[in-house]
Amino acid sequence: MSRVTDPERVYSAEELAAAAPPDEPEPAPAPDETLTLEQRAENARRAEQDRRDRQLVRRLKQGDEAAFRELVHTYQNRIFGLMLRMIGNRQEAEDLAQEVFIIVYRAIGNYRGEGRFYTWLYRVATNTCKNRIKYLKGRNFHRSLDIDETPQAQMPAAETGAVITFQSQVPGPEAVTEGMRMEKIVQRELAALDPDHRLLIVLRDVQGMSYQDIIKITGLQEGTLKSRLHRARLALKERLEPFMR
Amino acid sequence: MAKPETDNAEALMSAYLDEELDAEGKSKLEAMLADSPEAQRELSGLQSMLRLVKGLPEEQAPPDFYEKVAKKIRRRRWLRGDYLIALSLPFQIINVLVILAVAVVYMMLHLDNDVAGRKLERDPTVQKAKPPAPQTPAP
Repeated sequence: MSRVTDPERVYSAEELAAAAPPDEPEPAPAPDETLTLEQRAENARRAEQDRRDRQLVRRLKQGDEAAFRELVHTYQNRIFGLMLRMIGNRQEAEDLAQEVFIIVYRAIGNYRGEGRFYTWLYRVATNTCKNRIKYLKGRNFHRSLDIDETPQAQMPAAETGAVITFQSQVPGPEAVTEGMRMEKIVQRELAALDPDHRLLIVLRDVQGMSYQDIIKITGLQEGTLKSRLHRARLALKERLEPFMR
Repeated sequence: MAKPETDNAEALMSAYLDEELDAEGKSKLEAMLADSPEAQRELSGLQSMLRLVKGLPEEQAPPDFYEKVAKKIRRRRWLRGDYLIALSLPFQIINVLVILAVAVVYMMLHLDNDVAGRKLERDPTVQKAKPPAPQTPAP
């Protein structure tokens, strides 16, 4: 990945595709007897997903477009969600998420099947995202997500239902408005964090990833990751404090 | 009063927020919190912040997401010149059809020839049907 490590340079899609990192072998999971029932079930689910991903990747390498479609459908929401929380703009996030899958399509040869496809995909996504943030910074792009852009805002409350967790935190008829206002604030303050801090909060606290997966994606040591995440959480807490009173 | 910025305090709080603290760690954290109102405020603020962040809704990609990705891939292939490969497939099919058409025309033109290319003659044993003689009345 040495070709895309210059923090100042914005890379083209071709360069990102050519420099997509090879996957690395991952350690075997802990023996079953040391795990709780939930952890065993989670491991089994992950193993099944990984097996399915490897099959799809094998078919994609043979030129099977249907396999690519299935991979996109499997991960499009997570990658779109990652981009939306990182960039804060729906249109930009969609464009960026599409770019990630185009790079995956073109660079699938770099994935050797030794590590999890899921973490390799996220490495491609985070590199692409950081690159776009540099590009947008150079163009003074700082449009955050407007609440009116969200699909929920375009529909009457009765149709959207109580899907937003923020709404349930604020009982009463103002719940929807207040919930959406808080969502907008959280998104805005998240997008104002340093990109490295933002990424850790999105991966760990928004998307609920395990530390092991985040280590694989970011290449950080466990101690560094935990320490940096703590600083990121403190920074976000300070930004949100005026709105939490 | 101890400021909760030591490595130990940070590690304890992180582990607590991640629900990874064992019983021994919990008692250490409780002792630290009892000693430091500042640490209490910090932990409480972090918990409130995490509730908000974890409450962000899961976003869905647009329903036509894949179609847009596929369209962009096709467009970039075209711009890169990969379209020549795509065009070669119909040409292969056209080639086969042209060969078949030439073969059919050739067979039609040479239908009257034998294997050696000689013109086939009519079978002499087959007589032309004569028109019936006109009936003359008996004298």
